[in-house]
Amino acid sequence: MKARVRWMPVLAWGAAILLVWELVSWYLLERAEVEMAQSRLPYVHRVLAAFGTYGGVLAKEGWITFTNAAWGFLAGAAAGALLAVLMSASRWMERLAFPYAVASQMVPILGLAPIVFGIVRNEDLARVLIAAYITFFPVALNMLRGLRSVPPASLELMRACAAGPWSVYRKLRLPASLPGLFSGLKIAAPLAVTGAILVELMGASRGIGVIMLRNLYYGPSHVYMFWSTVITGALLGILSYAIVSGIERIAAPWQPEFRSRGGDA
Amino acid sequence: MESGIATPVTAAEAGKREPAAEAAKPARGRARLSDSAAGRIGLPVAAGVLFIALWELQAFHRMLNLKVYQLPLPSAIARTMRDHFDILLSYAGYTLAEAVLGMLVGSAVGFLVALIATAWPRWGSGSLFIVASLNAVPIVALAPIMNLWFGSGMGSRIAVVAVTTMAAMAINAHKGMNMVDPLALDLMRSYAARKRQMFRYVRVAGSLPYVFTALKINTTASMIGAIVGEFFVSSRGLGYLLSNSIKVAKMPLGWSCIVMAAIVGILFYLVVERLEKMFIRWHPSQRS
Repeated sequence: MKARVRWMPVLAWGAAILLVWELVSWYLLERAEVEMAQSRLPYVHRVLAAFGTYGGVLAKEGWITFTNAAWGFLAGAAAGALLAVLMSASRWMERLAFPYAVASQMVPILGLAPIVFGIVRNEDLARVLIAAYITFFPVALNMLRGLRSVPPASLELMRACAAGPWSVYRKLRLPASLPGLFSGLKIAAPLAVTGAILVELMGASRGIGVIMLRNLYYGPSHVYMFWSTVITGALLGILSYAIVSGIERIAAPWQPEFRSRGGDA
Repeated sequence: MESGIATPVTAAEAGKREPAAEAAKPARGRARLSDSAAGRIGLPVAAGVLFIALWELQAFHRMLNLKVYQLPLPSAIARTMRDHFDILLSYAGYTLAEAVLGMLVGSAVGFLVALIATAWPRWGSGSLFIVASLNAVPIVALAPIMNLWFGSGMGSRIAVVAVTTMAAMAINAHKGMNMVDPLALDLMRSYAARKRQMFRYVRVAGSLPYVFTALKINTTASMIGAIVGEFFVSSRGLGYLLSNSIKVAKMPLGWSCIVMAAIVGILFYLVVERLEKMFIRWHPSQRS
């Protein structure tokens, strides 16, 4: 995808979707008189109003979820990066861990969320653990791919200059692995938030997932609040992605997709 | 935007990767041993067996101060799987059906979005952006909405899976359709090919490797979507059984759901990988 998104069409699309939403919502409620019309598709302006009224609560609970997810994300990313470096440095380590890392990509990891909660019974720890676990493998695999993407000619040059393994890593492999690391982080960031919310749904006492579930069960009277929690959850996911992308721009700015012209994204 | 999860590299391929680094290693004898067939297959298997053995002997329980009812032993999980095999199998089929149907719908929509965005780049690329931002919405936020829209039956999970698989397909297919060789487009134009033919023979054909990358990403995503969707409102399926057994503290049954989901997920993945081999045999990435 091009880095330069033309904003006009995007804004037009967004506005069109909101308009259609509002119209369909009105139609369902006033004309078709569908049962629970507002639960299915509430008026956008009412949801926004609820968002404004309960902004404080949403921000507070969202923050709890987000910080837990962030701690887990950081821990998982650090462990994943460490495993990637170990795998690239030691053949034994790679033989040992690589098949499991690949297999873990085919397994529905999020299914583990209730189990982790079942084991640790501490909601904060469970959230951090599941976020870390979800982050771990995508980061390890993508970073390993980056570490291996070093051009052989550069490696030969480093060897010709009698560079030790330490400086090969510091000057060549680690910088080369940054794009891979970040693509892993970008996959993992929204997943970490999802994992944290999932744990909350299994029966935590704080967090955005808790109020989401509570408002869902309260039924029609809490429709707008429920949709606000859904939007907050979505925003947390998008926010995590945006933060990682922003850091990527600063840490690894040489990638083709950040060029303003030329190159292929 | 990167195209999702890394394409898994086979162990054999990984071994061939780095002749230069290989030579740089001081301990060459050891490296060679780990390269042999015994090392390649034996080592991970041995590690797995050791892990399960330690688990069975309650080493982890002592280390982390856990009780057996919190973390059930592998033997108990295996026994539960045998006892409940019929129901696990039928629930796995149900969940897999949701995942497959949802993935087909989602991938088809994603591909269509990519087609539109390529055919009319000016306005179409906006739709791509919107699909991509849908991707960042957590599944847990989608699942309750889809329950409201499509009821508690299979339809709501199919919708959840469709939404979560749409973006990967749209982004990858769009990349594939736009990374075609400009010379091929020029050639087609010099043959006076219509826009339609250009899409049919150059862009769509050229996007196939990317489409399959997206499908492989989506197999995992679709299983996750189906299972997580079932956590909410459902009366069947692996996710339903999983969350229910955890709630009533039947840990071995929960674990056997996970094992079953893992097996089904891996099989699903392997099937898609096999399809990829059949359809794009011509592509360089498929050469041995």
